[in-house]
Amino acid sequence: MYKKKQGLGGWIATILLTLYCLIAVILIGNMIISSFKTKHDLLFNTFGFPKEFSIENYQQVLIKDSLYRNFINSIFLTVASILSLVFVSSMTAYGLARYRFKGRQSLEVYFLLGLMFPIQIAILPLFVIMRTFSLTNTFIGMIMLYTANMSFSLFIFTQFFKELPSALHESAIIDGAGEFTIYLQIMMPISKPVIFTVMTVSFVQIWNDFYLPLVFLAKRSLHTLTLAIYQYLANFLAYWNYVFAAATLALIPVIIVFLIFSDQIISGLAAGSIKE
Amino acid sequence: MTKSKAYIGFITPGFILYSLFMIVPLGFAIYYSFFNWSGLGSMECIGLENFKRIFFDPRMSRIFNNALGNNFRYMAIAVFVFIPLQILMAYLIHIKIHGHNLFRLMIFLPYVISPSIIGFFALLVFDPNIGILNNVLLGIGLNQLVSSWFGNPSIAFYLLVVVIGWNGIGVGMVIILANMKNIPQDVVEASIIDGASVWQRFWLVELPFLEPSIINVVVLSSIFALTQFDIPFIVGGLNGGVNGKLDFLNLMFFRYTFGDAYFGETALGFGAAISVVVFTIILCIAILQKLVFSRLFKR
Repeated sequence: MYKKKQGLGGWIATILLTLYCLIAVILIGNMIISSFKTKHDLLFNTFGFPKEFSIENYQQVLIKDSLYRNFINSIFLTVASILSLVFVSSMTAYGLARYRFKGRQSLEVYFLLGLMFPIQIAILPLFVIMRTFSLTNTFIGMIMLYTANMSFSLFIFTQFFKELPSALHESAIIDGAGEFTIYLQIMMPISKPVIFTVMTVSFVQIWNDFYLPLVFLAKRSLHTLTLAIYQYLANFLAYWNYVFAAATLALIPVIIVFLIFSDQIISGLAAGSIKE
Repeated sequence: MTKSKAYIGFITPGFILYSLFMIVPLGFAIYYSFFNWSGLGSMECIGLENFKRIFFDPRMSRIFNNALGNNFRYMAIAVFVFIPLQILMAYLIHIKIHGHNLFRLMIFLPYVISPSIIGFFALLVFDPNIGILNNVLLGIGLNQLVSSWFGNPSIAFYLLVVVIGWNGIGVGMVIILANMKNIPQDVVEASIIDGASVWQRFWLVELPFLEPSIINVVVLSSIFALTQFDIPFIVGGLNGGVNGKLDFLNLMFFRYTFGDAYFGETALGFGAAISVVVFTIILCIAILQKLVFSRLFKR
């Protein structure tokens, strides 16, 4: 419906946006290329291609600096948190969306308060609570926090469950299925697209999270990749050839996930905030 | 919807986790803010002393006002510069200019980069010695433009805003873009037949349909602006950069709550008071924005 032919203004916009997008390409490309340079090469040939491809930086950060451990930490924490988040938030959303009971609406609003007040605001009492239950410096504590921070996923699931026809539930009851069986064996399989959306969006958010690990995972052996990169940055000048390799390792998984699932991530984030 | 008691079983686990880690702490923050407490040992109720200290202690109020000012300045830029940009970018993609699919992807891309790596990129570009920017400027002979960037107090804040904006601008853009897809096609077509120019069509026909997403992006950006932490912390450090130019309320809060080397100033009660102030500001701003918008759009 819009004009197919592009005028001068359109071309200027295309050129400006191309230049803008080049920033990301140059920064990421430069980082990856530089990660294969030796320190000497990096010093005298900062922006060019490496004279010889060296994987020494990767050997150093992955094995000698045991970044592989941070890598495993990040993967474990992210995967476990996503599974727990999807399970608990979908169950809660299911209870909220598919049953009629007194106070249902206020409860729904209550669960959405987390969208308004980010977890950072109450980090201090949260710290006291976590300490009381000996959950600081534990992955289980972090998984519980990421699960508790469920307002966004709960909202997505609630919207979805509300749209499902009630006949689905009724016929299952007639077939003699229990309530939990209906949720697990009928509702979950048809929720696959939503589960996927929640998983991909949460992957990006939890994998990149800086604040909660900074506060709750002080122990070095528990550090996530994001924290490990931060540690490298703090000693940047001494190790700057290593930072490129470490940052590349941290960025690659999330870029791959993004390039494959960009539609889910983008539409998921948009869907989570478009309705009033 | 079904009438059955089964909902209790579905909701309870989530309710307990969410309440314990998300809502109860909010209440406790208010409670702690009335106490003098180092985090361990006894708590002494001191009434409104913590709040008085934030607002009236000469040194503390200066730090607080500076940080709050930075939060507000960032919020103003987010609302009055970034959101128009987000609408413009979304619109260009919506009308399918050449390369629109790639632009949507690439403008959003920085959002998936972790804050540590964003900080690293900021260093790569703006470092006075090894940074790309100074080297390029020297290379093309613009020596007078070489700067210490984040070390220069008059521009450090704006550089930070650019970095944070680059990181997050895609989120608001895709929210607005999703809303644009909902604009009824026939209304737009009718306006084209009626001879509306592109400019008129956008302002008079399409923009009013974008109200819900724009409100949401304004509120989300404002909350984000008021709770800024990661990138300022990574780029400028815990003390808020040169002359406190990169200081924000959440950094100040963090210093007095978790930083332990501040001359015995580490005080959880005081930190809680700061977070209560942030919390109150968010609440007021969100309510104010809803009011302004309902006036603006509904008339």
